[in-house]
Amino acid sequence: MVPAVLLNIPGTPSSITTTFDGYPMAQRGEGERALKTGIVASIFGGLFSAAVLFFFAPVLADFAIKFSYVEKFLIILLALTVIASLCSNMLMGIFSGVLGIWLSLIGTYSITEGGNGEPRLMFDFMQYYLIDGFSLLPVLIGIFGLSTILLDAENGFADAPGKGRIKLKGGARFSFSIFKGQLVNLIRSSGIGTFVGMLPGVGGSAASVLAYSQEKNFSRDSSQMGKGAPQGIVASESSNNALTGGALVPLLSLGIPGDSTTAILIGAFTLQGIQVGPLFIGNNMDTWYLMIIALVAANVLMFGIMYFAIRHIAKVIEVPKYILYPLIVMMCVVGAYAINYGIMFDVWTLLIFGVFGYVAQKIGLEVVPLIIGFILGKSAEVYFVKSIESYGNLTIFFTKSPIAAFLWVLIAVSVAFAIYLRVRNRRREASSLVE
Amino acid sequence: MDSHWLSLFDVTIDFSQSHLFFPRIVTTLLGILLVMILVTRYRRIVPAMRHAGRVVGGREGNFDRKRFFGTLVLVTLYFYLMGVLSDVFPNTGYSFLIMSVLFVFSLSLLYAERLSRRILLIITLNALIAPAIAWYVLAQLFRITLP
Repeated sequence: MVPAVLLNIPGTPSSITTTFDGYPMAQRGEGERALKTGIVASIFGGLFSAAVLFFFAPVLADFAIKFSYVEKFLIILLALTVIASLCSNMLMGIFSGVLGIWLSLIGTYSITEGGNGEPRLMFDFMQYYLIDGFSLLPVLIGIFGLSTILLDAENGFADAPGKGRIKLKGGARFSFSIFKGQLVNLIRSSGIGTFVGMLPGVGGSAASVLAYSQEKNFSRDSSQMGKGAPQGIVASESSNNALTGGALVPLLSLGIPGDSTTAILIGAFTLQGIQVGPLFIGNNMDTWYLMIIALVAANVLMFGIMYFAIRHIAKVIEVPKYILYPLIVMMCVVGAYAINYGIMFDVWTLLIFGVFGYVAQKIGLEVVPLIIGFILGKSAEVYFVKSIESYGNLTIFFTKSPIAAFLWVLIAVSVAFAIYLRVRNRRREASSLVE
Repeated sequence: MDSHWLSLFDVTIDFSQSHLFFPRIVTTLLGILLVMILVTRYRRIVPAMRHAGRVVGGREGNFDRKRFFGTLVLVTLYFYLMGVLSDVFPNTGYSFLIMSVLFVFSLSLLYAERLSRRILLIITLNALIAPAIAWYVLAQLFRITLP
């Protein structure tokens, strides 16, 4: 969250929506306010998901396991359609999202996902480098990190507040009154985070995007979202922190890891000789209670440390840019190189997507749908192709189950609401011009 | 009658060609969207490109060419030379350490608005200490793979 708010670089993919409002707030001197808003929203999301995990784990796990490829594809379609509502220009937004999906498909159709292992969307000489496609982390760091540096370099750092510095303070101060009227947003976003966390493999970024776009759709006033509205940070941070508890549900009840973190946890359980699955809770009551206590304690500790010391922790941002930016590029190299245990092409990916991100912003492409499309593209392909391979008919996407029908309703409502809001905003703008 | 109607939506995917099924749909969709954008915005595209050319060429606007292209050149050199040097010092992280010292120093010099003796000292110390700490903590303590 800290780099997302202060540097416009998401520390994890699920913090991506935090940058939409966090960074604009930091730019106008409300960095501390944005961070504290995020911290409070995070602890709410974390504790909410811990409570859901504790009270409803068996019931919710039963529900999530009913999701087949069809419903998983529709969940992704829902996430992708709602991102169109994030964009100032819907056509460019949809184009950017589809371009993101297209970029994610470069590489081979993975055998581990049930594909045939054949390469596509590249020339033969690229196969050595792109056999597994572009790695997510270097792409993210490139588009958000390096392109931000290039944009600043182009301006000669002239437009940065305080000449080369982003102010942590100076604007409006944090107060708990920010959360007045945000209870619905908190509960809905935490619920979305917990629910998406339970769906194996859908991932944290889908949760925060879904929560953010639903807040944009359903809040009374979403006109400031994307320009520095605390409600955007509340939606993003409560949902992405709620993932932690949600992702543990399929792990502890079915033995299926919900995300990469729980995939590592399953390894830790294996090392301890504990079998994770339907019998886990009954056979390991002590461990089960300990995990719940640890989850709550981790959230409380995070809150205590971050809330009271954020001013000092975030001081890093007051370092002059001529000192900070070279170090950011250096650490970006570390992240990109280490993610796949030492592949130099991942470092070049950083540069490729840094320049691409810069050009994309210049020609009016929407970076956020592009990234979301990239993150969800591969999963969308697997779920779509496997659904058709299994059922052989396109109507299955509508008729598979009541859940599928419900997801179509959500998609339709989301799109209709986005169009309604757009028309309403246009009318308001037109009437204010007349006045 | 119903089954005949439903059969219109039948789709069969040949496994050997399944890797192209979804990409073809996405590519077609991308092409359609691109045509829509070109058709609806062609009047704005050509002037925008001309304007961009003038800005990059320095004839218009406040485009800081020195810092922008300097960043691109330094980052490219940093990555390229790090790769070359990592063949000389494989799996030690020395390539990262050496190139990072040079890169951090050069980019800091490029970005610094004015150079006093104090700022030069800060930049030099930063270029020496920060990569060394990063290298020691990551490569030596945590055993993270570095170039």
